[in-house]
Amino acid sequence: MTGPIMRVKYMDLPRQFEDGAVVARVMDEFKRCQFVLGPQVAEFEGRFARVCGAAHAVGLNSGTDALFFALRALGVGPGDEVITVPNSFVATAGAIVMAGATPVFVDVNAEYLMDPARLADALTPRTRAIIPVHLTGNPADLDAIGAIATRRNLPIIEDAAQAVGAAIGGRVVGSIGAAAAFSLFPLKNLGVAGDGGMLTTGSRELFEKVMLLRHHGLRNRDEVEVWGYNSRLDTIQAIVADAVLDGLEAVTATRIRNAAFYDRALAPLAPRIVVPPRRPGVRQVFHTYVVQAERRDGLREFLDSRGVETKIHYPIPIHLQKAAEGLGYKRGAFPVCEAQSERIVSLPVHEYLTPAEQQYVVDRIREFYGQ
Amino acid sequence: MRVPYSYLREQFADSEPILRDIKGLLESTQFTLGPPVAEFEERFARLCGARHAIGVGTGTDALFLSLKALGVAPGDEVITAADTFIATAGAIVQAGARPVFVDVLDDFNIDPGKIEAAITPRTKVLLPVHYAGQPAKMGPILEIARRHQLPVVEDACQAISAAIDGKLVSNFGVAAGFSLHPLKNLNVWGDGGVIVTNSSDMDATLRLLRNHGLRNRDEVEVFGYNCRLDSLQAIVGNHLIRDTEAITAARIQNALALDAGLAPLAPRVRVPKRLPNERHVFHLYMFEADDRDQLLAWLLEREIEAKIHYPVPLHLQPAGRGLGYKEGDFPVAERQAKRIITLPVHQHLRAAQVQFMIDCVAEFYHAR
Repeated sequence: MTGPIMRVKYMDLPRQFEDGAVVARVMDEFKRCQFVLGPQVAEFEGRFARVCGAAHAVGLNSGTDALFFALRALGVGPGDEVITVPNSFVATAGAIVMAGATPVFVDVNAEYLMDPARLADALTPRTRAIIPVHLTGNPADLDAIGAIATRRNLPIIEDAAQAVGAAIGGRVVGSIGAAAAFSLFPLKNLGVAGDGGMLTTGSRELFEKVMLLRHHGLRNRDEVEVWGYNSRLDTIQAIVADAVLDGLEAVTATRIRNAAFYDRALAPLAPRIVVPPRRPGVRQVFHTYVVQAERRDGLREFLDSRGVETKIHYPIPIHLQKAAEGLGYKRGAFPVCEAQSERIVSLPVHEYLTPAEQQYVVDRIREFYGQ
Repeated sequence: MRVPYSYLREQFADSEPILRDIKGLLESTQFTLGPPVAEFEERFARLCGARHAIGVGTGTDALFLSLKALGVAPGDEVITAADTFIATAGAIVQAGARPVFVDVLDDFNIDPGKIEAAITPRTKVLLPVHYAGQPAKMGPILEIARRHQLPVVEDACQAISAAIDGKLVSNFGVAAGFSLHPLKNLNVWGDGGVIVTNSSDMDATLRLLRNHGLRNRDEVEVFGYNCRLDSLQAIVGNHLIRDTEAITAARIQNALALDAGLAPLAPRVRVPKRLPNERHVFHLYMFEADDRDQLLAWLLEREIEAKIHYPVPLHLQPAGRGLGYKEGDFPVAERQAKRIITLPVHQHLRAAQVQFMIDCVAEFYHAR
């Protein structure tokens, strides 16, 4: 290597709040806000629904809760099965367990997404819903999955926690399934200053159920319609979300540009590096930029020693976690997912990367493979 | 004279120090389980005189997670008071169990004399509520729990700093749930809750459960939940927890003034008996009143923001229908629901406002 070591952070969160005007604006609103379900929550919900092309959006405490509420509002409970993928963040399966149901996994394809060809094998008479995950910000194949779901009259809940702004053709995620769950966790493309989540739906009935469930089941101050929960997006976080939403299109565009740069620059390293596959007509928003790498752990160590921070999303598939022991899966159950878990690595793709930093990352990867 | 129920405007008239710290957080971006949460947990545990405090999303979650940590599951029953905020029963249902109600005493708390009749082989936990800030009768409750080998979880959502014989709530059961909702005696700028426990096992389990069951970034020990106290809210809590003792003292002082002023109106006004060994922290100042609805209207007309906590007992709510209770099952709670009224008692009341409330209540009964 020639030249000094350059520090390339995986994400540069502090820069999100380095704009003094944004901070001043949210701080000013904090002072005067009604802390629980203030008007800013409804305002943000309206804006978020429009961004997703959905009729309704509800602000909740987390993306996990958004999945859980979608399941509860669809009537999923003990004895039911819900189909999802084993390579997601654990919260996808966690929300299913939280609803009292059993997660049933389906292996993924080369795009790290639910493989529609394997979906039919996972269906049983107890299947009550399907949760495809738009992992990395890449929409799952909802046409193929939707066709199977429709035949069986099963609702689709989109796990869009990583995918705000992604689209298939003209359809934006969050507007396709019966409901969709988004996370506003700080590291997300649209992140707030703590926990937060959004549920979107086109169904007025589902929307009204979730509005009740998130606030103790209270019809009004004194009347409890159903047993509910306490899961409200804090007004303060809605204020932050509203400010951050102004920049979302720019953030997404930058991430897409950064991903395209990697695609081009890393293509010559195939097959030692496999860049994320693309399908036409799909807008990936690159919450993560995941490549498969030969000698993955060695590469990560090398990059780390050269100042480049990388991550693995995720090194242990859910079905092989200790928490999943009771589900009865063994190693080998999902060969594609398992093979990927040993090869995947997430490169920095955030909106604050400079071209020089990206070039540096590419050069170091080349250097590692001796090119 | 206006006597508002909410005091947030006064409490945060000067919020600059809090805002400065929040600005620092926005710059550091340690939003999730960052140092402010650990600091707040330590302070909170110390305030309770207990070993562990775990910051969670809400008071409801604090109860729910405590029940899950004790293994409560579908088919189980959890015993609680018939008159409490809906979230107590909601947390039990959320854990998959069935709430079993027990009638209350004149102090609005669970009647220990009626608990044993409610215990069945499916009973898994006793969940007494320190309602309004008044500690439940923990001596007899713990005795029953010991006899039946049942764990006790305290619903201390309204009762920070309450005590019996100098022993602070949260030190009686195996865990206690607290709420940091904006209108609580110790509050934050949104939703927040805390679980307090003296058990290291409970502490370890609860820390897993609140954060997806993650042992570390990559290993999932159990399927858990996402119920974390935001760092931002912990920052607010770290500022306000310094005031908790002063706030408590002010509320107690206001309550004693109301007690003295309302005493001559007995029996039309029935203030619960205060026991010298119990420290009631007056999250709510509640009493029973003849002609309650007319009194409420009378007070509201005079710009005294009185409230009712709550007009419909849980077992008679639409949500409670499936539990199979009917009117008459809990006569004390049902009587109270028709007679209780809550007056503002917060720390920002002035002596003149307290006197005005007493005068208005007195005037109401004298005019009849």
